[in-house]
Amino acid sequence: MIMEKITIPIGPQHPLLKEPLSLRISVSGERVLGGELRLGYVHRGIEKLAVSRNYTQNVHLIERICGICSHVHTTAFCTAVERLLNLEVPARAHYIRALLCELERIHSHLLWAGILSKHIGLDTIFMHTWHDRELVLDIMEELSGGRVSHAVNKIGGVRIDLDIGHAELIKKNISKLHDEVEKLLEIIMHDSTIKARTQGVAIITPEEVKQYGIVGPIARASGVAVDFRSDDPLPPYDRLNFKIITQPEGDAWARTVVRIQEVHESMKLCEQILKVIPDGPVEVRARRSVPTGRVIVRAEAPRGELFYYLRSDGTNQPARLKIRTPSLPVLEILTKKLSEIQVADIPVVLAGVDLCIACADR
Amino acid sequence: MPRFKNRTHILSAIIDAFIKPPDTTTYPFTPIELPHGFRGTVIMIDPEKCTGCSICIRDCPANALEIQRESRERYRLIHYPSRCAYCGQCEESCKNRAISQTNQTVKPTADPDSFIVVFKDTLGEDKPKFS
Amino acid sequence: MILQTLSFILVFPGLLFQVMCGWAFEWLDRKLLARFQRRIGPPWYQPLADWIKLISKEDILTHGSNAFILAALPIISLASVLTAGIYVPVAQFNRFGFEGDLFVILFLLSVPTLAYYLAGIASIGIYSILGGSRSLLQYFSYEVPFLLALSGPAILAESWSIQDIIASQVDMGPFSLFQPLGFLLAIVGLIGKLKRDPLDIPSAKSEIVAGPLTEFSGIKLAFWRLTMNIQAVVGIFLIINLFLSWSFLPSLIISSLIFFVECILLTVILSMASAIFARLRIDQVAGLGWRILVPLASLQLIAVVLMGI
Repeated sequence: MIMEKITIPIGPQHPLLKEPLSLRISVSGERVLGGELRLGYVHRGIEKLAVSRNYTQNVHLIERICGICSHVHTTAFCTAVERLLNLEVPARAHYIRALLCELERIHSHLLWAGILSKHIGLDTIFMHTWHDRELVLDIMEELSGGRVSHAVNKIGGVRIDLDIGHAELIKKNISKLHDEVEKLLEIIMHDSTIKARTQGVAIITPEEVKQYGIVGPIARASGVAVDFRSDDPLPPYDRLNFKIITQPEGDAWARTVVRIQEVHESMKLCEQILKVIPDGPVEVRARRSVPTGRVIVRAEAPRGELFYYLRSDGTNQPARLKIRTPSLPVLEILTKKLSEIQVADIPVVLAGVDLCIACADR
Repeated sequence: MPRFKNRTHILSAIIDAFIKPPDTTTYPFTPIELPHGFRGTVIMIDPEKCTGCSICIRDCPANALEIQRESRERYRLIHYPSRCAYCGQCEESCKNRAISQTNQTVKPTADPDSFIVVFKDTLGEDKPKFS
Repeated sequence: MILQTLSFILVFPGLLFQVMCGWAFEWLDRKLLARFQRRIGPPWYQPLADWIKLISKEDILTHGSNAFILAALPIISLASVLTAGIYVPVAQFNRFGFEGDLFVILFLLSVPTLAYYLAGIASIGIYSILGGSRSLLQYFSYEVPFLLALSGPAILAESWSIQDIIASQVDMGPFSLFQPLGFLLAIVGLIGKLKRDPLDIPSAKSEIVAGPLTEFSGIKLAFWRLTMNIQAVVGIFLIINLFLSWSFLPSLIISSLIFFVECILLTVILSMASAIFARLRIDQVAGLGWRILVPLASLQLIAVVLMGI
């Protein structure tokens, strides 16, 4: 075996990565010494583009920041503009937005579970997980017309409505999904291989969570109970009950457990939303030009906290839009965590933290 | 050291998967059904209703609609399907409900730059010029 | 005479037969894996189509690597597995057996592993070198139990010629009944030799892209893939001959049918193992090999020796 220091390029193109990222990992034998990270391969200049488009066009631009968490980005943006306009969006619109947010959370976590299993070597669980994800995508396609880009939000409400036929179909599909996902999550939770390969790997302590500003399931897996659905809730989350799931250990297995149990919670939330959704209109007319002001909106994406800062100057184009996505601080701590593991754990760590580089690069 | 006793879960899952029919389809050779609300091609269902107000052009995020205007009544509205993002904002913005989105998929083309669709033409020239 | 020898070498059981069996094995394996994963899977002509596509692709050499070695290695591997295939009996056809041919076949089946390692080292890329070193470590972990397990039938039949082993199974019954542990260890060893899931760490896609074969393309890659398929087929034939030979004598048709069914059964077992287990890490492979497989194989061997007395 070669024992001197060599550099493995987990380069822009690599089977391990969903999106391009450049990581140069230096290893010696089977121990990882450290890594160098370079971002920017998916940078499209969204914040600059947003300044030269009007608000209606911006809703569609923001949707295309990320494919997996597209709906929650537009929800945050529309909420920001509605707050600047002092608009009272009808309650039914809020519930429809929340339904899609939860469905998105389910499909994002199922995607992540599949990718983790695939990189550990269990191809079968990858295929089965993504099959169940298809059920969620079918529901979203029935609702909104697109599997990945939903185009449901608009400033002032939503563009779709749940009529009776839809609600029955969604309920039927969600209960079918419930049964299938239960079986699958049983397999993942009790699979000794996944547990053996993820336990004790890359522990993130609560102090590091506070120091680096990590949010989302990764923070919750280290015992820090931060969830913006209850800390700073967008309506209707202030009226729904759900649990915040934390685990104390902070290793890769804790992150796995947290995400899997979040899928359970999200399915229960979907059923709850369908039960308590009020009748009424789904949209309200909005003015095109937004008065001067600035607003901050925070939302809970599948990967953590989304932070939107919007400043308007009285025209129909924003003056400044700043987005901070949850994958950025994870990237900063990643190189530090990589120097504590073995080469064989690299896929477990990289796939286990569920990065979304498209979100991080904007 | 992996233990083997939890393999029975996966074993039953794969045998179950083997017995059931597969989930994938051989797409071009078997037809698929798109849902009713699928956001497909954009068409102009009623050119009479279009008044040339240009709200759709102002709201299109992809600059896929363009108007060539000579006067208030004489204009040409063209659509570039290769630039279109199929978001449906034009249908949403049009006050007269002249533009609409179907649920058919777009036919592929080998030459996207010259793929344009003329929605309404009261100019009367022979060939549309496009930028 | 020359024509007959040529037809043995080129048609049956030589080149054409083994290539067809190799492609059939690859198709069956991929189809089974797909159905286990709820997909449709490739049509029957897929391995042939892949091969034709590969030989028409461009052949790229990395800067600084030795073109002659990189071209010779796949050819040598293919030639050695094809030669091993000629000596392995197929159903009742065993024209070329001789005393000690078990050793020769096992040696010839090990040549591709060495060539795989050399291909990794000679390709100079970082992924290839890592994969090559891992493949050599894995080789040491599974080869010893594999050889010990395969020596069991030879000791029980008191001969190192496959013909005699088959004849002795015709008398006593299939050896898998007498040495089930050896049968199991032989299958595990075969999985390691073929570098399939769960023992495919040398070509672990998530870490080192494709291991030693990363830099190969074109006709060289076509030959490597053919080598892997034929190695699988020859390995399966060997295990059937050593452990699962029934009384083959009744008639040619029935014995060929039984042989065919046993091949399919072993392929199904290999595919199911691929679908169920996750990839082991390299330290887990070494631990598995030396802490579990070797003691079990030695135990089986002692039992066989005592049984023979």
